[in-house]
Amino acid sequence: MRSLLPVAALMAVMAAAPQAHAAGDVLVMNSAGASLSVIDMASKTELCRIPVLREPHHVMLTPDKRDLLVGDSAGNELVDLDPNSFAVRRHLPVSDPYQLGFSPNGKFLVVNGIARAQVDIYDPATYKLIKRFPLPTMPSHMDFAPDSGMVYVSLQGTGKLAAIDLRTMTVSWETAVGPAPAGVLWHNGLVLVAVMGADYVAVVDPATGKLDRRIHTGKGAHQLFLSPDGKIIYVNDRVEGTVVALNAATLIPEHTYKLPGGPDDIVFAPDGHVWFTLRFDHKVAVMDPASGTYDTIEVGRSPHGIFMNPRAVVKCPGG
Amino acid sequence: MIDNLFDSTAGWLQEHALLPLMYSLGLMQWEDISYGWALFAVYGAAQVAITFAICLPLEAWRPVEHWPDKKAVLVDVLYTLIARVGLLPLVTFVGFYEVQQWLNGFLTDHGWIPPTLEGLFPILLGHQIATFCLYVIILDFADYWRHRLSHVFDWWYALHAVHHAQRQMTFWSDDRNHLLDEVISFLWFTAIALLIGIPPLQFPLLVLLLRFLESLSHANARLNFGRLGERLLISPRFHRTHHGVTAAGHDSVNYGAILPWWDMMFGTAEFSRIFVTTGDPTAEEAMASGGWLAQQSAGLRRLIWGGVSKDVSRVLPGPARSGARLRATGQAPGP
Repeated sequence: MRSLLPVAALMAVMAAAPQAHAAGDVLVMNSAGASLSVIDMASKTELCRIPVLREPHHVMLTPDKRDLLVGDSAGNELVDLDPNSFAVRRHLPVSDPYQLGFSPNGKFLVVNGIARAQVDIYDPATYKLIKRFPLPTMPSHMDFAPDSGMVYVSLQGTGKLAAIDLRTMTVSWETAVGPAPAGVLWHNGLVLVAVMGADYVAVVDPATGKLDRRIHTGKGAHQLFLSPDGKIIYVNDRVEGTVVALNAATLIPEHTYKLPGGPDDIVFAPDGHVWFTLRFDHKVAVMDPASGTYDTIEVGRSPHGIFMNPRAVVKCPGG
Repeated sequence: MIDNLFDSTAGWLQEHALLPLMYSLGLMQWEDISYGWALFAVYGAAQVAITFAICLPLEAWRPVEHWPDKKAVLVDVLYTLIARVGLLPLVTFVGFYEVQQWLNGFLTDHGWIPPTLEGLFPILLGHQIATFCLYVIILDFADYWRHRLSHVFDWWYALHAVHHAQRQMTFWSDDRNHLLDEVISFLWFTAIALLIGIPPLQFPLLVLLLRFLESLSHANARLNFGRLGERLLISPRFHRTHHGVTAAGHDSVNYGAILPWWDMMFGTAEFSRIFVTTGDPTAEEAMASGGWLAQQSAGLRRLIWGGVSKDVSRVLPGPARSGARLRATGQAPGP
């Protein structure tokens, strides 16, 4: 046993040594691990973990890009980090911040409390609560109309999509879209909703709330993201273990990628690769959409939200 | 490393079994929370397997008692599987999660930051093992009083008697509890957990270790931790004294689950050097030798109509408590 001590000491020194890496880091919310994983984009390795209180789920950059907010739902706080160094600046007490989003005009911060069945509208300058909408049940994802007049919220427990008018602070309409709706995307004058309890994306008229049509993707359609060039909408199918690429202009499925492990949130790298969190595999997948091949990176338990800053240089503790 | 193995197994269970099942049953809105259940179920199964692998040889090597018929032990196996792998972790986890979320959100709304140990002592943030140890000490203290009170009130002991009625105590007996007694425990721990903000998912591996220690303390094995060790951690001998025939009902000793400190502090420690005979002579026979349903029914009957006698001193001769009485009336036969 004694002979192992020098090796252990060397490993400890190596672990504590500065970890040099090129600029560009990714932050991953380990929702069941009470931590945030920091990944070096170049080497695709996890550099360190930043501890948080309980359950970090989603992340959002403030409109002025000066603050990165992580919602710790069970911890009932927003963790405010420096988006360039991922250093924790402060903790803001907020009730059940599961999902968060800023209106495009930057006037409102909307926070969905999935456990408390509430949608809260905050003033982002002061983080004071402006209005609470009790919306049964399980408000999970959201997106905004480009003019910031409306926010569309999926209600996972009741199978509905709700439209909240941010000008009058009233609920304009609720419409049934299918069982357990999750991801929401405003796109070309339509609202798209991934219906997790089924196998399709519901297309809804944002003015009337009328269900226009369904686009079949795969079982457990969970999240949907528009690519930076605006040409593709990626839809993650949680049960099927696939990612379907929709033509953003026609909404016709063009390609299906096999991606097991519970694909969830997505970020797009400048080199064209797409990064996915894999909820059940405690990994992040880095996929080349041209070939469909991917590498994986070990992170913490149940990784959920993901944020990428190609210019970030993070100094991990001890590094 | 071993943590990763459990996580991967839970992930596999979630992806290949739970999710398709929930999808077909129309329960996908719970898919996020179900991961917690998968994790607890995997750790529960590992607990059972590890406990089985270690305690079974131990009980075979140095048994306190030999029984020709071990039918009564089989019921305890069922209790264990229900408590650690099946329904109970699901109900407990989801219930705790929902209550914690609701209450903490409510407090936040009213300007209170929900309490957490890490909030009180920021130095603990990121030091999960130290934090866990503090949580264990607080919870064990709370459990001491829960357990002690369950022996004080007749109605409560009527339920707890199911646990004490077992005459063939083995490592499987830890989870032999009346369902209502489990509900009370759940409420008790939820209240404590909310007060100190216990995170539900952070420590499954360490919880596994604690549950193993609790199972070990019930083992039918002539095992003690020595003079000093007995005062640091509860041994099978220490806990067996609590299960002695003369320690059932109001007049008991050694209420602790993990740490003997609370018994030492509050004058209920009994560091007897003997291995006593276990059981509750006041309990209805169905509680001792009946099936799972019969035991549950007997607990309910005793709760509603009362038992034969809740105070063991009325049915057994000798002084009310202490090791002297244990030595006089309750010593198990030698190996």
